[in-house]
Amino acid sequence: MADKAEQILAGLGGADNIVEIEPCITRLRCEVEDSGLVDEKLLKAAGAHGVMRSGSVVQVVVGPEADTIASDIEDLL
Amino acid sequence: MTLRVASPVAGRVVPLTDVPDPVFSQAMVGPGVAVEPDRVAGDVVSPVDGTIVTLHPHAFVVATEDGAAVLVHLGIDTVQRKGEGFTLHVVKGEAVRAGQPVVTWDPAEVEAAGFAPICPVVALDATPDVLLDQAAPGPVSAGDALFSWQR
Repeated sequence: MADKAEQILAGLGGADNIVEIEPCITRLRCEVEDSGLVDEKLLKAAGAHGVMRSGSVVQVVVGPEADTIASDIEDLL
Repeated sequence: MTLRVASPVAGRVVPLTDVPDPVFSQAMVGPGVAVEPDRVAGDVVSPVDGTIVTLHPHAFVVATEDGAAVLVHLGIDTVQRKGEGFTLHVVKGEAVRAGQPVVTWDPAEVEAAGFAPICPVVALDATPDVLLDQAAPGPVSAGDALFSWQR
């Protein structure tokens, strides 16, 4: 699981790119500094079911383990 | 065996594809149905017997003894309400029975705040072929069967 968090963090452009990350049942809602650094392929390779973007907010659909992944990512920040 | 999944709210059954959120409409986290809730304040009840494994004010997951997990999401993007207007009656880890009140909310208030109050009910990580006897679009009461989940 921690590896998955690392991969997702990399897909989001790394710890420095994260402004805020919040789990919501099925997805991670992330505000990023630079959405150009977000790598959808990497996120999907990490197990994301889907990626939705809206400006600086990126939603990574990871399924019901979102809460666990978010806390793992918080540990990496 | 099949698991009877009950409607958590009273309202109108609609296809999951009607939900204005691709996570649900594209069944990214599993198949299910949605309920367009009646615009009156009331209790949201557990769809199955099980344990509350995830609990937010605006959404919860109940897992049965054999591991079937049912997600109930109260409105779309309602995480942004930060709990306002949602009163929880259970804690994470609590055992619940189907039909037991989990949270009280007011769909009209959610709608007035600018959010779609539609409630997706999802069989997490299931494949579409194991959802049987899906309720036809139309009126539904809380506790009425929405679908059977073949296990």
